[in-house]
Amino acid sequence: MASWLDQDFPDEEEDDFNPQAEVASDDEADEKPQLNGDAEDEDDDVAPQRSRSRSRQVNDEVKDEDEDKDDDVDLTGGDDDQPVEVDGDDHPAVGDEDDEEVADQDDEEDEEEEEDEDDDLPGRPAKKRRKNRRNQFIDVEAEVDEDDEEEPEEEDDLPGDEMHPDDLQELPADADRDDRKHRELDRQREAKEQETAEEQAQRFVERYGRKERAGAATGAVVPQRLLLPGPEDPHIFRLKCRPGKERDVIQGISLRMAERQYSREPILINSAFERGGVMAGNLYVEARRQEDVVAAVEGLTHVFSSYKPLMIPIEEMPDLLKIKKSSLLEPGMYVRVRKTGWYQGDLAQVEDVESNGVDVTLRLIPRLTYGLTEDTNAPAVLDQNGKRKRTKTTQPRPPAKHFSETEAKKKLGRYLSRAQGLGNNAFTFENEDYVDGFLIKNFRINQLQRDNVNPTLEEVTKFASGGEDGTENLDLNALAATIKQTKAEDYLPGDKVEIFRGEQKGVTGKSVEVYGDVVKMRVDSAGALRGQVIEAPIKDLRKLFREGDHVKVIGGSKYVDEVGMVVKSKDDRVTLLTDSNNQEITVFSKDLREATDAGGNVAGSKFDLFDLVQLDVSTVGCVIKVDRESLRVLDQNGSIRSMLPSAISNKLERRRNAVATDSNGNEMKIDDTIKEFGGEQRQGRVLHLHRNFVFVQNRERVENAGVWVARHMNVTTLNAKGGRPGGQNGVDLTRMNPAMKQNGVPGVMAPPQGRGRDRLIGKTVKLRSGNQKGMIGIVKDATDQTVKVELHAKNKVISINRDHLQVIDPRSGQPIDDRGRPGGGMPGRTPAPGAYGRTPFGGPGAEGRTPAYAMAGGGRTPTWKQDVGSRTPGYGGATAYGGGGFGGTTAYGGQTSYGGGTSYGGATTYGGGGGGGGSVWGGNQSTWNPNPSSRTPAHNPGNKTPAYSGGLEAPTPGFSAPTPGDQPTPGGFRGQYQTPAAYQTPGGFPETPGAGFDDDGPRYD
Amino acid sequence: MFFVKTLEHRIDLHPSFFSASAPDFIKEKLYQDVEGTNTGTFMIIAVLQIDDISEPKIAPGTGFAQYNVGYRAMVWRPFRGEVVDGKVTNVVNNGFFADVGGLAVFVSKTMLPPSMKHNAEGSTPSWSEADGMIIERDSQVRLRIKGIRGELGQMYAIGSIREDYLGALLQ
Repeated sequence: MASWLDQDFPDEEEDDFNPQAEVASDDEADEKPQLNGDAEDEDDDVAPQRSRSRSRQVNDEVKDEDEDKDDDVDLTGGDDDQPVEVDGDDHPAVGDEDDEEVADQDDEEDEEEEEDEDDDLPGRPAKKRRKNRRNQFIDVEAEVDEDDEEEPEEEDDLPGDEMHPDDLQELPADADRDDRKHRELDRQREAKEQETAEEQAQRFVERYGRKERAGAATGAVVPQRLLLPGPEDPHIFRLKCRPGKERDVIQGISLRMAERQYSREPILINSAFERGGVMAGNLYVEARRQEDVVAAVEGLTHVFSSYKPLMIPIEEMPDLLKIKKSSLLEPGMYVRVRKTGWYQGDLAQVEDVESNGVDVTLRLIPRLTYGLTEDTNAPAVLDQNGKRKRTKTTQPRPPAKHFSETEAKKKLGRYLSRAQGLGNNAFTFENEDYVDGFLIKNFRINQLQRDNVNPTLEEVTKFASGGEDGTENLDLNALAATIKQTKAEDYLPGDKVEIFRGEQKGVTGKSVEVYGDVVKMRVDSAGALRGQVIEAPIKDLRKLFREGDHVKVIGGSKYVDEVGMVVKSKDDRVTLLTDSNNQEITVFSKDLREATDAGGNVAGSKFDLFDLVQLDVSTVGCVIKVDRESLRVLDQNGSIRSMLPSAISNKLERRRNAVATDSNGNEMKIDDTIKEFGGEQRQGRVLHLHRNFVFVQNRERVENAGVWVARHMNVTTLNAKGGRPGGQNGVDLTRMNPAMKQNGVPGVMAPPQGRGRDRLIGKTVKLRSGNQKGMIGIVKDATDQTVKVELHAKNKVISINRDHLQVIDPRSGQPIDDRGRPGGGMPGRTPAPGAYGRTPFGGPGAEGRTPAYAMAGGGRTPTWKQDVGSRTPGYGGATAYGGGGFGGTTAYGGQTSYGGGTSYGGATTYGGGGGGGGSVWGGNQSTWNPNPSSRTPAHNPGNKTPAYSGGLEAPTPGFSAPTPGDQPTPGGFRGQYQTPAAYQTPGGFPETPGAGFDDDGPRYD
Repeated sequence: MFFVKTLEHRIDLHPSFFSASAPDFIKEKLYQDVEGTNTGTFMIIAVLQIDDISEPKIAPGTGFAQYNVGYRAMVWRPFRGEVVDGKVTNVVNNGFFADVGGLAVFVSKTMLPPSMKHNAEGSTPSWSEADGMIIERDSQVRLRIKGIRGELGQMYAIGSIREDYLGALLQ
């Protein structure tokens, strides 16, 4: 391209464009004015023709190829931007990186053109320079030969005298033996030798001095502004074109230039480019004059000729050529689709990056309707060309789901074909490829968003549905690659760090201070720096972890908050074994920090590892994995569920004192070590006991965090926690104390609970205090504290504290011992400290046994139906009580009373034996049944029992004086207690022993 | 490594034990309480000697008598870098577990010699290598402790046999 410029511009301008013209004026070049053959290497063509804006600054300096290149490098490398489109002369049509192919073509064309033109224009300085450019490093003598060969017509010298005889002989007979060059060289040398030192110095300065300056210009210190375009440089004009057609236009321009370059009206622009992307619809042409621009694009399609070319201000020109350094895309990284359409904003994984750096193959979750929303019967709409027009219906965008073969077959089966040779999960459907359920699609790199991708867990998990080995392997290879930059926040003072690149590579130490992007570290690795505090930029640093370090994942990965021990540390990847479930995970060292604590639960989840949770009414499960957004739960049936915390109804508190029995009937508590009975014989420690299920943990198991579940009947206690006598081993120290031993009889028995009708009801009572003190009435109703008494005197029912009552005998008016109502009155108490209360069971002595025993001994007296037995003074047993000196025995007298006459003899005995005040009943009985010889009235149908006859005026003792025997006595000796069942018979009394058994007092059945 | 360490332990004695034989109870209970326990940093192997049993103090409100018992015990404390022998308890696909006394040590796959391969076939899963070293359940192994983590009452460690002279012991 330079050629046509060269062609047209006058010489002085040509210098502008062609810095190499100056090279030609190098002194060496002057010495060798001869023309050489055509330039062979491409560099020769390309290098001198860099952007003119640059050449301006250097065109008066001696420049050669290397420096020219350096310059380029400098310009491009000075900041991170790479002005790809700068090469105006050589790449008239380079608009964008996307355009490389076009550019390449152009390159070739241009080269050819140039060479042609060069041939056409002999004697042009460009030619000379081409050869001389390399003169600096090439021995001049070497050129002699070249010249000899290339320009034989000029050779008229014969081999010189200086020639080595051997060489001479080797020469063919007709060889040129011209030593003119040699002589010339000698003359030069001679001349040089004759130079004064100053001259020499001057010459060197001339030759190399500028070079140094130019060399310095390549350094980072050279202000870039020197390279920036100035007012004398060509201008850049902006044109408008149809968006998306920029490249077509540029290609058009390039073609036109090629066409017209030999015509009388060549296109006089330097370059044309476009920026695409955000600058779509804009076209930039570099030229000296606006007219040239217009000529170049005139009549091209897609160019909006209504827009006049707009000159870009000089200061804005560099910005136009700046490009942002594109972050490198690697397969596995995540990007977002920027393109509008169904996939807009969707997360995609880079499958492959084409070598041109422009096209990217992405893996997407397809959004397909499978034609289900399409109306296939709708008449085809034809456009002008007779083709079926694509009606763009505004359908809602289908949800992102993995490709489904069945869905595709349903309606559009004809568009579905199975791809061959790609495994059996690759399909082509409607001209798109689907592999493993993912859509594989090509995108341009500029359609993708590479920064701030921020994939969410949900999105990523869709991509991570299993690696080759069935495990999830997304974390590092994919996700972290997207967010791999280290930040200053990742470092804290105290972190162990390592410099992994740069001069001090390999130096390790502890960070002391972190500021900006610099970490001050105290070196602790061996070497000269040991103990010193040095500064290192964060980008050269990584955190260092040793095997066995206890670390916590602090961020950047889905394993955040996991705690574990490092098992492997390679480069910046650290593999650790999690404490929670012995899983090996690999994360970047930047996401780790040394853990001080034993580990915490994942923040934000209200469930902890190993919690027992209620899944539904009948199902519970044990949490085996806590993620930030989900939980994995092992339910009672042994299956694993992944669920959201919100799907769990509640957490069941760990019941410390829960007890279950194992297969041997031994007790099993939380934290006991148990073993599965049968099956895999798994062992473990009880985590939870819930109904029939035992959740057990074994740290040596990897699956499910070591948790397994079994039925309680399928496990055996191996040893109990804390030496509790579980199973067969271990002795409970508390049991060693003889004082605490209990020989068979439960030591502490809860007091019998009074139930049913209060015994005070129906009694005649006398009020002992209050306004109505001394009045007599009948108890109508009773509660624990108060009773309602219907007074005899007034027709009035009063409510009164039951402590203020005195039960009296309705006839005699004598007070009756109130203690006749054990359960009813004070249910909470044991049958009172009174002697009789204790009687039946308190005494260890033989006679202290319950009446039941006594009765057993006494021969089942109250079995009235047995004639013989009934006659016996069955209450000989009762007598025995009396003998025992327990006034309380009287109570049994009560029984006796309704038991029938049999016992009356016994009743008498009471009188004697009882001795105590309790004998009241006895007394009564005597009165009722004076005839000791009578048979049991109760069982004599013909005979009205006194109990019945007692009716109103004389309440039967059974009513009024429930015996302790009723309730506490039976004690649970049900077997022997058959007899008292007979009590029911006579009385039909409300409080039968049977009723007594129904209460929820302690019992032993 | 084994140490003899002087320790103290508090025992609460139920009033029903208050008798002439209380010291015996105390001793008995001390043995029961501490022997074989793990403090998170070391394991108490055995009580060697009971140095003193303090005067009891009745804890207000409970009636229990509190005794402070000073004793010397043999303890075992594993150290990072220590080479120990253990017995394999479980072989899994990413390594194996071994018991070193009361310390459960996990040897990860990455800490096995690279030549070792996991075999899940056969009756027992095992790690083996060509020259015949086989690690399966109940093998004796010599390993180097790489890291220890102590929790209250429990210790876990990870170990390595990726080194000369480490690995399965000949039996």
